[in-house]
Amino acid sequence: MLKDLFFIIVSTVLVNNFVFSRFLGHCPFLGVSNKTETAVGMGMATTFVLTMTAVAAYFIQSFILEPFGLTPFLQIVSFILVIASLVQLVEMAVLKISPALYNAFGIYLPLITTNCIVMGVALLIPQKGYNLIESTIFGLGAGLGFTLALVLMSGIREELEFSDVPEALKGPAIVFITAGLLAMIFLGFTGLAPL
Amino acid sequence: MAQLVKDFLNGLWKENPTFRAVIGICSALAVTTAGQNGIAMGLALTFVLTCSSILVSLLRNIIPSKVRIPCYIIVIATFTTIVDLFMKAYFPPLYQVLGIFIPLIVVNCIVLWRAEGFASKASLPRAIADALGMGLGYTWAITLISLVREVLGSGTLFGINVMGGATHWVIMMLPPGAFLVMGILVGIMNMISRKPVKKTHCH
Amino acid sequence: MNQYMRMIVVLVIISLVSGGVLALSYEVTNPRIQEQTQQALQQAVLKVIPGAEKIQTVEKEGMTFYIGTDNQGNKKGIAFKTTGSGFSGPIEIMVGYAPREGKLTGIEILSMSETPGLGARIKEPDFTDQFKGKSVNDEFIPKKDVKVITGATISPTAVANAIKSSLAKVTKIFPVGGDF
Repeated sequence: MLKDLFFIIVSTVLVNNFVFSRFLGHCPFLGVSNKTETAVGMGMATTFVLTMTAVAAYFIQSFILEPFGLTPFLQIVSFILVIASLVQLVEMAVLKISPALYNAFGIYLPLITTNCIVMGVALLIPQKGYNLIESTIFGLGAGLGFTLALVLMSGIREELEFSDVPEALKGPAIVFITAGLLAMIFLGFTGLAPL
Repeated sequence: MAQLVKDFLNGLWKENPTFRAVIGICSALAVTTAGQNGIAMGLALTFVLTCSSILVSLLRNIIPSKVRIPCYIIVIATFTTIVDLFMKAYFPPLYQVLGIFIPLIVVNCIVLWRAEGFASKASLPRAIADALGMGLGYTWAITLISLVREVLGSGTLFGINVMGGATHWVIMMLPPGAFLVMGILVGIMNMISRKPVKKTHCH
Repeated sequence: MNQYMRMIVVLVIISLVSGGVLALSYEVTNPRIQEQTQQALQQAVLKVIPGAEKIQTVEKEGMTFYIGTDNQGNKKGIAFKTTGSGFSGPIEIMVGYAPREGKLTGIEILSMSETPGLGARIKEPDFTDQFKGKSVNDEFIPKKDVKVITGATISPTAVANAIKSSLAKVTKIFPVGGDF
């Protein structure tokens, strides 16, 4: 049991990292990986929302969509609406409870709704048939993996500022090539955890 | 009319979503392992984008601005589900390959970007021209990525052997290959247009 | 109209229309989706049991078995589904088993999401044909008695393990040499 949870974490963070191997969450990965500080903020906010989404997706799937046979045609609509409202709720709650925390990562919250990593996790949970605890860990792992990718990238990009990049490759192009090299490194984790 | 042509061409090249605006990248990298995947994914997105733009443009004076984003999301999600169901029913092998990236069209930045940024302020013909241009711009871009990866990775073009087994670079089929090909293609597009994209439209 | 009322009315109408349209498209596509899945299953069963023309479905000990018979009603073999965990997701396999001979009669990959050009080659006859006529008492150890694919060992190993572990259960229900 505990072993399975451990494998889910290792698998989502390293082996099947959501950014480098599952190709999810690339918009913020390109957009907010300039500075390590913002990368950490965005990573934290996303991890938080992902964990909550995983729990929500589990309950909606197993208590509403599945029992009433609505999965094939209402799954997408209900998941996206729940994610959008959840993000709004979290934003309001954080603002009310701790303005300091809001300043640290609240500003990234509205950007998370259209981050495909959140929708991706919601859709993958029913596919994988996880139970409540496994779903939660899966969401958490996805967030940690995303944070890891974002922070790694931002560290490299801060150095990249000072290097002599060919004119045509400036901007997103060099980020993609760097991400390619990072993805190769992550291939090395293959086989670390049975899925 | 000239305006419509301009709107249509905008997405094909000047603001090409994949190479120039660099948004909606996830699916452009994930499914592009064979030519037909690129075409299928591109057409699926074009359908959702065009239908959503039509509705958003028609409803632009009816939807109150405070609830416009939820409304757009419902509209986009509806068309995404329709594509999802029809692909499952009529093209099961393709549906299996594209997998989760068909339902993920709902959060593809391109769709919301054009709905919110263009269709919500434009007349119906202009919204359609823009959506078709953007959709087809995305389609040719990811088909190009797919073909490069397919030729280098399995030595075939649309499944037909063209390299005589000379290239079987497995790395091109794996995630790193997707990133490298994308980076180099964006670089080449920068050289052609002599105006590098400095930042992406997405957050 | 009051501003808030208008928001609510617009949202409700859009949601209702969306729900209606989706329910309708589901009604239209569902028979076709069912038919497709049914067809794919049937084709796979007929492929893994040589000589089978008709299929009978039986439930035994929580597993579903498809018994293939020819036109005269002679039983030709059993097919069953099993799932392995591959490199990037589950691999669904249809396995054909002839209890009288204690041999596999073939396998067919139903669904998988392995890397194209690498793990995905488990779908090719080069890989699947080696299971035709393989004894159920074999070890099913990759690189030993199961050929793997160059550059990809995880997917073939997943297939071999899934078959081996399901056979342990199936041979208890339909023992080797026994009838079915």
